[in-house]
Amino acid sequence: MAPFISVEDVWKLFRIPHQKRPTIIEHIAGALSVLEGERYSYEEFCALRKIGFEIERGESLGIIGPNGSGKSTLLKLMAKTMKPDRGAIMTNGSVAPILELGIGFHLDLTAKENALVYGVILGLRRSEMKKRTASILDFAGLTRFQDARLKNLSSGMQVRLAFAIAIETEADIFLVDEALAVGDMEFQQKCLAKFREFKKEGKSIVFVSHNMNLVKDFCEKALYLQNGEMKVIGTSEEVTKKYVEDIQPLYKAG
Amino acid sequence: MRNGFRYYLDVITVLAQKDFKIRYRNSVLGFFWSLLNPLAYMVILTMVFSVLLRVNIPNYAPWFLIGVLVWRFFSTGTRQGLVSILANTSLVTKVYLPRYLIVLSNNLANFLGSGLEFLALLPLLVVLGVRLTWYALLLPAVLISEYLLIYGLSLSLSSLNVKYRDFDQLWDIALQLGFFLVPLVYDVSLIPVRYRTLYLLNPVTALMVFARDILLLDQPPTTFDVAVIISGVALFFTIGFLVFRRREGRLAEEL
Repeated sequence: MAPFISVEDVWKLFRIPHQKRPTIIEHIAGALSVLEGERYSYEEFCALRKIGFEIERGESLGIIGPNGSGKSTLLKLMAKTMKPDRGAIMTNGSVAPILELGIGFHLDLTAKENALVYGVILGLRRSEMKKRTASILDFAGLTRFQDARLKNLSSGMQVRLAFAIAIETEADIFLVDEALAVGDMEFQQKCLAKFREFKKEGKSIVFVSHNMNLVKDFCEKALYLQNGEMKVIGTSEEVTKKYVEDIQPLYKAG
Repeated sequence: MRNGFRYYLDVITVLAQKDFKIRYRNSVLGFFWSLLNPLAYMVILTMVFSVLLRVNIPNYAPWFLIGVLVWRFFSTGTRQGLVSILANTSLVTKVYLPRYLIVLSNNLANFLGSGLEFLALLPLLVVLGVRLTWYALLLPAVLISEYLLIYGLSLSLSSLNVKYRDFDQLWDIALQLGFFLVPLVYDVSLIPVRYRTLYLLNPVTALMVFARDILLLDQPPTTFDVAVIISGVALFFTIGFLVFRRREGRLAEEL
């Protein structure tokens, strides 16, 4: 059987212009200065290179590494919000991304209205969603605030709503980007319990985290990224150990 | 799960609802503004043009009102379509859905608003002494063609505006110019005969003339106007489709 998620030789380049030219006039000026010898130049920043791994059904992967190492970019590629410049990512199921703060809510809409919009985008029928809103708000602990606009809710509450919606969609693959750290302890435990259940049902969870204990406890596999490259991939035990060893000298020097 | 006609229909419905709600949120009169606004506009311009400038157009008030609604649909539709991607950054960067649905739904919310304005217009026309005929049943054809025109333009504008924010300003200027390039405050007969054909090649003008033909003048639209509308829609739709497809892949990075 084909692997659940397969990432094959993925590269992602970002162009960083040397001079920012956000307007047309500046672009024209830039193009003209090419004639005078000053080139329109940009640097290619390789955010990810040669990334390849596979995840089996029911397996979860923790992605660790310093800031700017490409963790979030990799998650965005898996969520399909960006396209890789080279390579391919195949997923054998529906994906529910929980990237950064909120899944992308509208602050002027209420918690309930936002739940409807995002549940439907993540693949639930509109009619189905109306039935499930109550249980989503209940899981998020926001029943009292269902008619409050999102801008009046705390960031922790927004994240809780995001998780509650994503969990309710019963997707096959969950992509979680640090967001879990924003929720309080009680909610984190609630989500992790839910994710453990999902794993038993054969779903997969990929998450980015700086919490080594969490990665070690929860994931079978871990991927350590550094400067956009795969430094180590293996069991979470080995990989987190390697990462902790790498940052150890910094403590000693300090 | 996330494909098929039902998924698209559901997504379009919730996104259009969302845009519609946001548009009238935080205002006491809500939707009534979209009726009051053109009415106030009509009163002001009727005073200016029929009392001060003495324009000689029979039935000036209803004639003007029809034009205003056609123009309002076009200008607010494209203006909001232009910012639709920028205003929904998180829908592009944090979840995946076919991006053109964001533009399409935004235009649809606008279509709904304008549709209601036109619905309110009909009894008003009767009050103003207009005798509606069966030709009025062609009104949905005007609205649907105008929607398609707006959608085509919004596809280009919304995706270009992500990279070049200038389009926001440029389009504002284009609309100010456009206001005087359509027979909104003056009649087509004012345009010198030599330029008239060129003038009439504007699809928004054709839509306006079409709407007045069927609602006010009890006559079918001219073949010329229909041809201009169809080719205008086809042209801007093709351009929009091509531009959007080209820009779509990089949207998440540029936002």
